[in-house]
Amino acid sequence: MFFVTYLRRELQHRLRQAVVIASGLAVGIGLVVTVTAASAGVRQAQAAVLKTLYGIGTDIVITTAPPAPPKPGSPGADRYQQTFTPGKKPRNVNELGLPPGLGLLDSSSVLKVARLGGVAAAAGGLILADTTLTIPSIAQEQSGHLPANATGATIPVDGVDPSHTGLGPFASVVIKSGRSFTVADAGRDVAVVDSGYAAASKLTAGSAIDIGGHAFTVIGIALQPQGGSPADAYIPLARAQALARFQASPDLDGKVDAIYVKAASAAAIPAVQDEVAALLPGATVTSSASLASAVSGSLASATTLAEDLGRWVAAAALVAAFALASLLTMAAVARRVREFGTLKALGWRSRRIVVQLLAESAMTGLAGAAAGVALGFGGAALVRALAPELSATVANNPGSAPPQNVSLGSGGIQRHIAQGALRTVPVHLTAPVTLTAIAVAVALAIAGGLIAGASGGWRAARLRPAEALGRIG
Amino acid sequence: MYALTGVTRTFRKHSGTIAAVQDIDLVIDDGEWLAIQGRTGHGKTTVLNLLGGLDRPTSGTIRFDDHDLTAMPESQITRIRATTIGFIFQTFNLIPTLTAAENIEAALIPLHIAAAERRERTAAALDDVGLLDRARHLPSELSGGQQQRLGIARALVKRPAVLLADEPTGNLDEDTRDEIITLLENLWHEHKLTLVLVTHDTALAYRAPRVGIMRNGRLSIRQDRAMT
Repeated sequence: MFFVTYLRRELQHRLRQAVVIASGLAVGIGLVVTVTAASAGVRQAQAAVLKTLYGIGTDIVITTAPPAPPKPGSPGADRYQQTFTPGKKPRNVNELGLPPGLGLLDSSSVLKVARLGGVAAAAGGLILADTTLTIPSIAQEQSGHLPANATGATIPVDGVDPSHTGLGPFASVVIKSGRSFTVADAGRDVAVVDSGYAAASKLTAGSAIDIGGHAFTVIGIALQPQGGSPADAYIPLARAQALARFQASPDLDGKVDAIYVKAASAAAIPAVQDEVAALLPGATVTSSASLASAVSGSLASATTLAEDLGRWVAAAALVAAFALASLLTMAAVARRVREFGTLKALGWRSRRIVVQLLAESAMTGLAGAAAGVALGFGGAALVRALAPELSATVANNPGSAPPQNVSLGSGGIQRHIAQGALRTVPVHLTAPVTLTAIAVAVALAIAGGLIAGASGGWRAARLRPAEALGRIG
Repeated sequence: MYALTGVTRTFRKHSGTIAAVQDIDLVIDDGEWLAIQGRTGHGKTTVLNLLGGLDRPTSGTIRFDDHDLTAMPESQITRIRATTIGFIFQTFNLIPTLTAAENIEAALIPLHIAAAERRERTAAALDDVGLLDRARHLPSELSGGQQQRLGIARALVKRPAVLLADEPTGNLDEDTRDEIITLLENLWHEHKLTLVLVTHDTALAYRAPRVGIMRNGRLSIRQDRAMT
C-alpha cells in the first residue's frame, strides 16, 4: 500500500526529527503520568486513612462532645481528674474509659437514626481506652524507685455490636486466625485482637487478655490497615457498656459514643447529615468528605502539592511539548514545501497530503506516548522510592488514642486526660499508574502529534502549487 | 488544446506590483511542440504554471479544451493535472525518500489505479527511459541525467495529453542535455503529445517547430508553426 510505504519511508528518512518530537512529547506525557500517579497515591493514602477511621462502607459517624469540664477546685472537678493516692503496697489499676473528646449518646438514638430516610443501616459502638497502671507504694514513691508501669499503658479498645460488624472500624478487620464475632457473642467475655498487638503481647486465639480488670478470651486475631491506628482489641458492645466508666458513672449501660451510618446512596449523604443534625442537636456529624477536609499534616501538604503545583507543572510541560512538536513539524513542512508542490503538480489533493502529514505526526505521537508511558512508570517508581514518609493529622476524629499527661507530684501520681484529641498517623505514599492514566497519556500524545500535524498540514494545504514549487520568473 | 486571451499575471512585492506575464494571446494546438525561450526572470515559468493550472492569471482567460481554467474550481483543476498534464522540472523534484519506482507510482496514486496495474505501468515507464534496473534506487543514488529521465518517466506514466517541461536540461551537462532532448523529441513523436518546453537555451529552443520569446513578461512568436 503506497500510503504506508510513503509513511514508513518518511519516518525512516526523518528519524532524528521524529525522535526529537517524540522525545518532547514523551517528557510531557511522562510528567503527566507521574503527577497523575502521585496524585492517585495521595488520594489512596487519604482514603486509606479515612477508611481505617470509618471502616469500609461507613458514610457518616455521629459523635458528641463531652460536657464542658468544671473549673479546677469547683464541685465535681475531681471527676475529670483521676487522682491515685499511694498506699502501703503497690496497687494495679485496670480501667476501661472513654477517650478524650468524646461524650455519650443514648443507644436509642441508633434506632432513631436507622429509621431516618436515606439511611441504609446504623450501628452503635463504644470507642474506649483501656488503661493499666501500677500505683506505687508510699515507700516506692519516697525512694523514687517506681514500679515499671507507674506511668501507665493504654490500648484502644472498641465495643462492637456483633449484629452489625459490617459498619464502623471493625468492618476493615480481616481475621487472620480464629474467628470473628457472632450474634451469640453479644454477652460473652470474648475479644478480637489486632495481630500487631497480639504478637507484641504473645497472644493467640484462646489466650486470655485483661480488659477493664476483666479476663476476656481471645477468639480471633485481626489484620487491620495500620494507617489509622486502629483499636488493639474489640469486645462485644454490651460487655464494653457493662465494664467501662465515664466520669462518675459506674457503667455505660444504654450508652454509645459513636453511631456509624451507611447511607442508601452517596447522593443521600448530605440530606442524612441534615436529618441527623436535626434529630440529635449538638451531635457532631462527620462524613468522609468533611473528615477529609479536616486532614492536615504532610499528607495534606502532599495533596495540595500534587493537585495544585504538580498539575500545573504537568500542564505546562504538556503545552511546551505540544508547542515544540508543532514548531518542529511546521519547520519540517517548510523544508518539504517543494515536495508538497510537486505532489500537487502530480494531481494529489491537498486533503491527501494533509492526511499523509497527520499520519506521520500520529505515528510520532504514538512513539512519544510509548516512551512517555515508560518515563511515567519510571517517574512513579522514583516517587515511590524517594517519597518521604508522610503523616496525616486528623482533628477530633472518632477513635483517637487518648493522649494523656501523667505527672508525679507530692500528692501522688496524677493522670490527666486531655480535652480534645489529634491523631497523627504515618502514611506511606504509593504512586500507582492506572490504566486510565495510560489511556489518557496515549490519547494526549496522539492528540499532540495530530495538533502538530494539523498545524503543518494546514500550512501545506494553503500553499498554491506554483508558490510551493517556487515562483521562478 | 490551449487558447490564452489577454492573460496577465501580476505579483505584489514590497517594491510594488510586478507583472510577470502581460497580456498574452496564444493558441497551442493538439500535438504541437512549442518552445518558449527567454532569459531568467522574464516570465517563462509563470506561463508554464498558468498552462498547468498551478497558478491563476490576474486577468484574461485560459481555455483548455472545453474548460475555462480561470473559472474552474481547484478540485477540478487538480483532477485535470492528475489525468491530463505531465510536468518536468529543472530540479527534477523527485521525492528523496522514495525509490525510483515509487516516485513514478506517486503520479498514479490520484488516478485510483489498482496496485498491480500501477506496478505494471511503472515498470513500463522505467523501461521506456532505460531505468528498469534502477527501480529500487533512491534519487540520490542516480546521476543528474538519470534523475531527469526518471522525472520524464513520472510525467509520462499517467499517459498525459500535455507535457509541460520547465528547463528540463538546465541542470545537466552538455552530453546529458542532448540525451534528454532527444528522448523528449522521440516521446513527443511517439505519444503525439502537446509539448510546451521552457528554456533559456536558444539552441535547445530552436529544436522545436514553434518558438516563442518571452521578454519582460510579453510573448512574441518567432518561429511560427514550422512543422518538421
